[in-house]
Amino acid sequence: MWYQAKVALDESATKFLTGLARLLPGVVALVAALLISILVAWILAKIVRRMLSGFHFDDKLTRWGFASLADWSPLNSPTRLVSRTVAALVIIAGVLIGLAAVDVESTTLLVRSIFAYIPNVLGAILVLFIGTVVARFLGRSVLIGAVNMNFQYARLLSAGVKWLVIVLTVAMALEHLRIGPGIVQLAFGILFGGIVLALALSVGLNSKELVTKSLDRETRPNTSETIEEPFHHL
Amino acid sequence: MEVDLDREKVQEKIEQTGKADLVVGIVADIDQSGIEILVEGLRDFPGAPHIVVLQKGNSTKQSATTAEGNDQDAAEDAAKDASLAVLPWPLELGAAETPVEIISEAYRSVFAASDKLEARACCIVASTLESVTSQWICQLLRPLLQEDFDFVAAHYARRTFEGLLNNSIIYPLTRCLYGKRIYNPMGPDLGISRRLYQKLLATNGNSRPGNSRVHALASFAPTALCGNFKVGQVHVGARVDTPTDWMNVGSLMSSVLGPLFVDMEVNASCWQRTRGSIPVPEFGSPLPVLHETGRVDIGRMVETFRLGNRDLREIWGMVLPPATLFELSKLARLAPEQFRLPEDLWARIIFDFALAHRLRTINRDHLLRSLAPLYMAWVASYARELDAGATSAEQMIDRVALAFEAGKPYFISRWRWPDRFNP
Repeated sequence: MWYQAKVALDESATKFLTGLARLLPGVVALVAALLISILVAWILAKIVRRMLSGFHFDDKLTRWGFASLADWSPLNSPTRLVSRTVAALVIIAGVLIGLAAVDVESTTLLVRSIFAYIPNVLGAILVLFIGTVVARFLGRSVLIGAVNMNFQYARLLSAGVKWLVIVLTVAMALEHLRIGPGIVQLAFGILFGGIVLALALSVGLNSKELVTKSLDRETRPNTSETIEEPFHHL
Repeated sequence: MEVDLDREKVQEKIEQTGKADLVVGIVADIDQSGIEILVEGLRDFPGAPHIVVLQKGNSTKQSATTAEGNDQDAAEDAAKDASLAVLPWPLELGAAETPVEIISEAYRSVFAASDKLEARACCIVASTLESVTSQWICQLLRPLLQEDFDFVAAHYARRTFEGLLNNSIIYPLTRCLYGKRIYNPMGPDLGISRRLYQKLLATNGNSRPGNSRVHALASFAPTALCGNFKVGQVHVGARVDTPTDWMNVGSLMSSVLGPLFVDMEVNASCWQRTRGSIPVPEFGSPLPVLHETGRVDIGRMVETFRLGNRDLREIWGMVLPPATLFELSKLARLAPEQFRLPEDLWARIIFDFALAHRLRTINRDHLLRSLAPLYMAWVASYARELDAGATSAEQMIDRVALAFEAGKPYFISRWRWPDRFNP
């Protein structure tokens, strides 16, 4: 009996060590791929940072109306954000290559599904980018127009329009990414409806004064002592 | 029954007319009886030049009876007086939408007709009959024909609160940049010689399609001044402002100042060389400014400025330096009775906006619309000072112009080296 137990132990140990030996080259390849990708990422990040600094990317981005990107960026520098993003992408690619070396079958499936998902990610990023630009543009248009029309709630109106577009954009991006489609649609509907209601209330409350003044002007005759609109600009 | 005012027929009529000494383009909405009154006055023009009056057609369609009536009247006129002809002229407005663009297109159309008729000069009448008389048109034409002037602008007798955009920005800026004191550089009633309108047509032909259509009206005076053409102005009567379909002051700023600022970029090499300003030859007797009676309520304008100072600070901060923003904050805290926007501050604000327009710091339309609350502040300040009786309108306008001239070195240095100071 002791002999059989010893044989069974020997066999399982052999199996384990064989499996480990089979796995070891893959693990070494994974570690090597990781180290190489880190090195390549570091070099690329340096190159990208030099190029963008020479191009005055941070200043130009502010001038193009993306000043808020600096707030999200490490050390308030969009250049660093871009260079670190490039580095992260290179490291992820290295990890995927290393994983493929460990176990070809299961990691190949994983790599395939990740690469199949990349177009969705790119589409979502594009939608987010365009949506953000449009949201900022519309928000600013509404802000300036509302201020010129003497709306006290101009900022609220502008923020409402901007967030309306951003919510729509995020919902579209999440749909692209196929993340919780049902919940996202419901949440989007509720949020969108809420923002529209808030905007309608804001416009209605502001218009109350305008309507009152307009009706007052209709019923009350102009006095000769006050000139209401004497100004001609051209 | 409606018939097409056939463009080919109009072209034929122009070819039949052959040549003309003068072309008068009437782009204002004046009815037939008004046209006849104007035409009667032109018959007495000294030297009896051959005059062609182009009457704007609002569309290519006219009622059949009117078209026939016009043809009959035209034939009778032709028989009566061979030196004067009235032709309907359908304007090709193209993509023009705002009133400024429409007037620009109308001008270009009149220039094209003048070129076809080989006219020595042309005159554009864009004001309504309440103010325009036949003598007015003769006054615009006389310097062109008898004194060999190239560009003659009308100097209107305005009321205190008329032409505010012209008084606050257009006139001081043109005077400061080009060194000539033309009170209404953007007309709209102008007299232009053959030399100048041919140059303007050539400039339009060389510029990018779609771009030039907006800039015509703003470019007449600068083209004349930079091209060393002979420039003058004529004192005419009061001009009645016709009600326009401006949505708000923001739209007005965008449609009027946009072309002006673009033209500044084009003529940068010209205006950077001029220093100070000199008056241009004037014709006719100066007419005094007509004063409004009654008090003016500036509270709403001050409120608009305060709202702008609160909500548009982020946008103004991209255009104006911190010192200017600080001054504006101080101004926003003043009561309406003490509200005063200093002229030098106003001049620097306009210069900074012009520079931001050139650098495309933000979307140009947004930039110009965001200037509206600051313009309201100027108007409020102007109205308050006039109301207080401390100064006259002429003195105020002159002070603004002098402030622009004094601030020109600041503007030139910012224009040449915009990165030296970047708010």
